[in-house]
Amino acid sequence: MRITCPYCGNRSLDEFLYHGDAEPQRPDATADNAMDAFVSYAFERTNPPGQHHELWYHEAGCHAWLVVTRHVSTHAISSVDIARDLAKARTPNTAGRA
Amino acid sequence: MVENILQARSAFPEFSLSRYHQLTIAVREHITMVSLAAWDGQSEKVQSVIQSIYGHSLPQRPVRVGGMEVSFLWFGPDRWMAVGERDGGRDLEENLKRHLHGLAAVVDHSDGRAVLRLSGARARDVLAKGLPLDLHPRVFKANDVAITHASHIGVLLWQVDDAPTYDIAVPRSYAHSFSDWLLDAAEVFSAI
Ligand SMILES: [Zn+2]
Repeated sequence: MRITCPYCGNRSLDEFLYHGDAEPQRPDATADNAMDAFVSYAFERTNPPGQHHELWYHEAGCHAWLVVTRHVSTHAISSVDIARDLAKARTPNTAGRA
Repeated sequence: MVENILQARSAFPEFSLSRYHQLTIAVREHITMVSLAAWDGQSEKVQSVIQSIYGHSLPQRPVRVGGMEVSFLWFGPDRWMAVGERDGGRDLEENLKRHLHGLAAVVDHSDGRAVLRLSGARARDVLAKGLPLDLHPRVFKANDVAITHASHIGVLLWQVDDAPTYDIAVPRSYAHSFSDWLLDAAEVFSAI
């Protein structure tokens, strides 16, 4: 399997670290149901066959976090996105440090 | 003064220049390397500061810009590595720190990285033995930059010219392992 990093280009799998499912979003820690929500966030995965969105880290390359859309039966990768861009699009008002 | 206590020592004490058939491997001493990592949201300001001081547009993809005095290598998203000749001082680091204060993390790598220069028609053949990248001129050209690994050691590699000449920076603590591998890989080219 090879992954095409949006920055570095097509690279061998051994440059990357898999970091799990990219779908779960960190729950609101102040919510009344925070405990249940965090248990679900940390442990519960449906793991269906087909397309998965996965977090990969280009550890031996540019150090970018990527969201790889991969078919877990065929390993076919249909898209690779920059995790930071997706996260910023979800929460557009986090300006970050100055 | 610190300078009187700590003497600069080569990361490659065992060799300085090795010549093979159509291949030369040399140690690049006296090099200075300083990484720039723009704080979140400050990348454009960092780019305009570098443009106004050095006259170079920081690259947004894995290439090198600049000249002999100082060049800037893409070093990841919103990160760059400034590379220059070290004339005894830390001017590059100090200048960048002063001008990029509050805009970027500026970290000196000069003594943390060891740099070798491979040059000649056989350079690609040697690197192919441990570097998982296609260096064919069709896809990797002069001024292209890559962050990858070679013989399981993390490297920052850039092509200097079409000879081809490559500069390869490795963590200093891996210099010995890396040169062991490289000289071994080059051995086959010693017989003409
Ligand atoms: Zn990358």
